[in-house]
Amino acid sequence: MKRETREYQYDWNIWSIIENASLTYDGSPKEYETLLSLVPHFRDALHAIIRQGEPGILFMKQIATYLKSIVSAHENGKKVAMTTFCFAPPILYAFGVVPLLLEPMTVLGTFILQRGTSEYLDYCCEVGFTETSCSSQRGALGAYLAGLGVRPDMIVCDSPGICDTNANSYSFASAYLDIPFYQLCYPPTLTDERAGMFHRQDFMNLISFLEEQTGSRLDIDRLREIVAEIELQNELINEFTEFQRLVPSPIPPIFNLFLYSGNFLMGGTRDFTELLRSMLKTIRLNASRGVSGMNSGKERLRGFFSYIDHYTTDLRLWNFLDRNEISHLGCILSTFWGDEAPYSSERTDAVFTMKRDSLEDMIDSLAMQMSRMPMVKSIRGPYDAPNMWLDDTLIMTRLMKADFVAYFGTIGCRNTWGMVKSYARDLERSGIPTLIMYADAFDDRVQSWEAVMDKMSEFIHLRGLGR
Amino acid sequence: MINEFKEISSTVSNPYVTRWKESGKAVIGYSCTFIPDEIIHAAGMLPFRLRGIGTTSLSIGDTYFGPVICSFPKCILQLAGQGAYTFLDGAIIMNGCDSMRRLDECWRKAGDDYAGTLPQYFHYMGVPHKVTDYSIAWFEEELNRFIESIEKHFGVKITKTALKNSIRLYNEGRALLIELDTMRASEHSPITGEDATAVILAGFAMPREEYTRQLREVISELREAPPVLDGRKRLMVVGSTNDDLEFIRLIEESGGVVVADTMCFGSRSHRDLVDEKADPLTALAIRYLSHKFCPRMFGCYKERLGYIMERIQEAHIDGVILQNIRFCDLHGSENGIFERDLEAQGIPCMRMEREYGPLVETGRVKMRVDAFMERIA
Repeated sequence: MKRETREYQYDWNIWSIIENASLTYDGSPKEYETLLSLVPHFRDALHAIIRQGEPGILFMKQIATYLKSIVSAHENGKKVAMTTFCFAPPILYAFGVVPLLLEPMTVLGTFILQRGTSEYLDYCCEVGFTETSCSSQRGALGAYLAGLGVRPDMIVCDSPGICDTNANSYSFASAYLDIPFYQLCYPPTLTDERAGMFHRQDFMNLISFLEEQTGSRLDIDRLREIVAEIELQNELINEFTEFQRLVPSPIPPIFNLFLYSGNFLMGGTRDFTELLRSMLKTIRLNASRGVSGMNSGKERLRGFFSYIDHYTTDLRLWNFLDRNEISHLGCILSTFWGDEAPYSSERTDAVFTMKRDSLEDMIDSLAMQMSRMPMVKSIRGPYDAPNMWLDDTLIMTRLMKADFVAYFGTIGCRNTWGMVKSYARDLERSGIPTLIMYADAFDDRVQSWEAVMDKMSEFIHLRGLGR
Repeated sequence: MINEFKEISSTVSNPYVTRWKESGKAVIGYSCTFIPDEIIHAAGMLPFRLRGIGTTSLSIGDTYFGPVICSFPKCILQLAGQGAYTFLDGAIIMNGCDSMRRLDECWRKAGDDYAGTLPQYFHYMGVPHKVTDYSIAWFEEELNRFIESIEKHFGVKITKTALKNSIRLYNEGRALLIELDTMRASEHSPITGEDATAVILAGFAMPREEYTRQLREVISELREAPPVLDGRKRLMVVGSTNDDLEFIRLIEESGGVVVADTMCFGSRSHRDLVDEKADPLTALAIRYLSHKFCPRMFGCYKERLGYIMERIQEAHIDGVILQNIRFCDLHGSENGIFERDLEAQGIPCMRMEREYGPLVETGRVKMRVDAFMERIA
């Protein structure tokens, strides 16, 4: 790692950049335009967000608040838990613990730092982590292994049996930094009573772990408030998804990123509710006008992104979608499986329900929510088993009237690369044009954004889509 | 006798399997050491650990698996697709790691394209990644379901008495293999790492009664055998799957003897015994799930380091080779921390990433081992 890279704490650096970026639109439009020229490395990313108006500005401010909660956690007497994107944060918030999510931290570094997170990615390898490991954790993890960030007080994850590569990153961090570790692990099935019982017991054990680490008992009143907030958020997310079904979709492509980022980082908090409400204002307005969420107001194509998005090089994926009038119909990251979600009606046994009558109800609800998180639900078993990835993709593509499915992932993803070829074949046999991208969503040294864009354009052209 | 073990270790099938099949009995392949052999044995069947040895192409493996996947399951799938595993009456796949658990889908899909290559009995077993009272209870239930599915498919009955007998037999073999480990670790080690690996590997592919009988004879002969060290360095090999004798031979040709290992397919497979006094199924669940030598059991690094240190001290190791198959992030990254912590204690280490399958990297591997031997000379 270069000496100058060691000059800054990673999380502090990201926070200060986002904090300042979130203030750029507080002045006049002219001032904003002038400020953009001062941030050449991430002006496109900044503008992609800010130009969404109130939801974009709010998103930036909330991310800044989230990052500040990390860098100031210890001085505010709070504990920090390093965790993963597919770990629902409400239980941590109920304990007053600040969740430090590696994958979103990598995304932030990827799109705002001049060279992305390449030095941190490589630093992981310098200290013994494999270069073939998933870049989504490595990008930020490198900084924490180098001591360039807040030292987590504990590490929790829920990916063993879901994505061992992901779990391994947290296990490695725990061993390397000598930090207490807790894993929720999952049976290969989702809906049978045995699986439900295991989810519950494992979650109860998690609560014991958190009580031990924080030295405090679970605050029931606080938990009830959080569960009520999740109920409200689920209603808003369901409305969001219903709008996504419209042709044209009135949802700007980047809102999908706001949706899942918000849920991962702020699920169960009032901030996330506010963000959802703000996005829905824009969406309702577009819907009432009968226009798409694109700048042009038109929609040429509808794509479902079956795994994750592509985050390198100034968030250009979303600009590309907008420019080509392609609606983003969601991805595995934005399907949460609340009981009233539009896609849940075909899979009523696979959903979670929030209840808050008793402590047991609330704990059960959170355990169910956790077991339905993106990735945790869909790719824990064989991809073609009931309630798993293929099933979910078929439901989503039918419901959303998708013209195609695109797979973006990381080179470290053993789990999906272990079967994505057959999965794509099965989708094609169901009549859905499917694109597998051999790129890395967090590391454009693997394949440049330009090559990714060419490949997508070629796919759309060759398959005769959107004519 | 060791030569016979070597022959068995170097091929997919062997004369014992052929004779077993000729007698009308079933052979069940299994993918990982978390699957109890005893249950298959108690059903009157031959447990056979799946391997990818002797693969000469990956045309089928690469068709179903993506490019960034461990070559071990790819080689197994390749052999299966080529028809090398048609002697199997059944196969059991489990979530050993991401790559291995995807063997389930890939083999099923390949079975659609290559008729007759998917065993008629094909079972997926879920194994938790942690040891708690409820995960052991869950795993015990999973084993019970496994028993029920075998009974239903093959029309057999697995009784508690049969299970207890199988546990006793497998424990006897494990105890002998632990004695083999002790001999290897002794000052006058009487067996090379290559031969010891062959002895261990044969146990995954032979009828257990016959294997135990021959193993007893080998151990008896080794008690009287002269030392093989002859001034050579005492090495330990740590890490992921290796069932390739040539790999160990290559290491030893550089001037060392592998006197201890914690490899998958190696000594770690037989380290714990099953409690013969407890309920057999409970005892199996506890033994197999508590077998934390594989990094798939997340959060147990210190225990594994402790075990390696114990073996290093026991075997007076001069140097440790930390190896893993490329794309095995679990072993690969844990090897990184082992290197840090072992070197800090003055134990020379070498990390090596390699491919499973035909030893096409002989030159590179040899050069690296030679350099390591120079370092510890």
